[in-house]
Amino acid sequence: MKKALITGITGQDGAYLAEFLLKKGYEVHGIKRRSSLFNTDRIDHLYEGPEVKQRKFVLHHGDLTDSSSLIRIIQQVQPDEIYNLAAQSHVAVSFEEPEYTANSDALGALRILEAIRILGLDKKTRFYQASTSELFGLVQETPQKETTPFYPRSPYACAKLYAYWITVNYREAYGMYACNGILFNHESPVRGETFVTRKITRALARIKLGLQDCVYLGNLNAKRDWGHARDYVEMQWLMLQQDHPEDFVIATGVQYSVRDFVNAAAKELGMTLRWQGEGIDEKGYDANGKCVVAVDQRYFRPTEVETLLGDPSKAKEKLGWVPQTNFEDLVAEMVREDLKSAERDELVKKHGYTAMDYHE
Amino acid sequence: MKRALITGITGQDGSFLAELLLEKGYQVFGLVRRESWHRPNSASHLAGRIEVLFGDMSEGVDIASAIQDAKPDEIYNLASQSRPGESWARAPETLLVNGLGALRLFEAVRHNCPACRVYHASSSEMFGQSVVAHQNEQTPFNPVNPYAAAKVYAHHMAKIYRESYGLYIASGILFNHESERRPLHFLTQKVAYGAACTALGISDSPDLNEMGRPVVQHGKLALGNLEIARDWGYAGDFVRAMWLMLQQERPDDFVIGTGLLHTLRDLCGAAYRSAGRDWRECVVSDPALVRPLESVQTLADPSRARNILGWEPTVGFEVMVGKMVATQIARLRSLQSS
Repeated sequence: MKKALITGITGQDGAYLAEFLLKKGYEVHGIKRRSSLFNTDRIDHLYEGPEVKQRKFVLHHGDLTDSSSLIRIIQQVQPDEIYNLAAQSHVAVSFEEPEYTANSDALGALRILEAIRILGLDKKTRFYQASTSELFGLVQETPQKETTPFYPRSPYACAKLYAYWITVNYREAYGMYACNGILFNHESPVRGETFVTRKITRALARIKLGLQDCVYLGNLNAKRDWGHARDYVEMQWLMLQQDHPEDFVIATGVQYSVRDFVNAAAKELGMTLRWQGEGIDEKGYDANGKCVVAVDQRYFRPTEVETLLGDPSKAKEKLGWVPQTNFEDLVAEMVREDLKSAERDELVKKHGYTAMDYHE
Repeated sequence: MKRALITGITGQDGSFLAELLLEKGYQVFGLVRRESWHRPNSASHLAGRIEVLFGDMSEGVDIASAIQDAKPDEIYNLASQSRPGESWARAPETLLVNGLGALRLFEAVRHNCPACRVYHASSSEMFGQSVVAHQNEQTPFNPVNPYAAAKVYAHHMAKIYRESYGLYIASGILFNHESERRPLHFLTQKVAYGAACTALGISDSPDLNEMGRPVVQHGKLALGNLEIARDWGYAGDFVRAMWLMLQQERPDDFVIGTGLLHTLRDLCGAAYRSAGRDWRECVVSDPALVRPLESVQTLADPSRARNILGWEPTVGFEVMVGKMVATQIARLRSLQSS
């Protein structure tokens, strides 16, 4: 039975990947940080307690900024595959915490590669590094593919760029099976609530039920290539099943603006939005003329990434990649799930109990 | 009087730059690790003329407090783990100092002295196995070792801090620059040292290489890949470019190099020639010294620096190599006599 170790298992991709690998018959180990709040919502359905014999799903406490914890866990588990999905993954936050972002995203990847090498697992353990379309930043050509030069625009992207190159360097210098998946935006109902897609679907669902008045967004013109995380984790696994390690762009090849995303989500909820104004004065009104979407300068990034569009030809040719979920279905699924949670909150409130609003 | 803070002042570039700035009437501060100051270093002779502030690039508090003490008009960030070959064995430390160290400095500037002008030392190592013949400011990076990957990180962060926060940060993408002050573990200095040993008839050298063996053993100097070619300039010329970059109206990045390519064979030829010997009798290639991944050829296109900064190198290749060999001969003679 193959063993996989996933860093970032409590995140969106970690949860989908764990589920996928368990179905494939893997023994799945995950690293989670200690937190004062429960942070295992996304993997709650996979949990097996220590009392279970021959567990297929095991969580370890560890941290990408703590090399001794990584060495200990990798030595204990002796994994066949490591998926490095852990990261300070929020672009805007990386401007506020650039050092922590570099420590976890750049040094963290290096610490794992070093651990593999030091433990003598360099011929056994295959390594997947979660790279990102943010590397392309100020895009040098459109669409972006594996050979497009990088132009990072945030501390997050710079840290991820280091991790990308160090993965390539360790592969070429030490002959390790290590590869980068350059994944374009991938979303799902369990996407973090502070990422723009989830922020939109969650807010509109709550607005629909009268739990919230208005949602404030940043650059409505930003264009992204959005796919479904469930589809993308399969590609992460496939990249480690090839004869030779290679880097791949994973994307849908189709682009929409943030405004398009808002419209699609509203439509799914049976709301029609009327847009008025321009730039930071742009507003979206519902059928009753109530302002439900507005722009707030604070959500703009100091250096913006205006457009990202992936060319997934290489993945299609070599991995047989065809995205299963299109844009409309992705938005619909996210809206459906957020509407359910909003309905639950509405019910709870109606009966006099507290439901959290969660702000950041 | 203008005030300048130099990180990495005990290194080759730091000491040349400190001399240049002192000559121009600056008050010069150096952020220095205690242990590097208390052993002989390239800036030892400047003791008393520069203000030494103790601290480490891996501690953000040290950087912020140095900036508060120095109140600099200009900062030159030259501190780094500066050995690309060694960065494989010291990868985490290299990123901590060369990557995160630079970031901590930019953050400290943003919060403590946003009007200050910052020079950041980028490196031609960032181009790595570039397919382009002449590398300029537009050439994409392709780093092939942990040192270069960390430098790419810092270079992009410099740009982001410049564009996001309007800071004056200029990065110099410097090609190889050498001098008689290079430590012995650098290739050019090793060759100069080897030629000096030969000139003095020393067949087993007192100094050891990174393998712990005499640099010159049984009359032979062992090097790695002799086919590599580099654009080698003189450090004294390059620090002038750093200063010029901070005197512009707007901050920008510049490639600094001579635009002339020399192979390691050329270097050996020039060094042993100045010692009056034929290098082919004295140099061997040892596979153990070849780096896991090697940038084979790097050649600068310094036209932007020439046009905008008016910068030109003044010390040629042969003259520089001759200077280095002569310094090594003098050093070995004084060792012999003592």
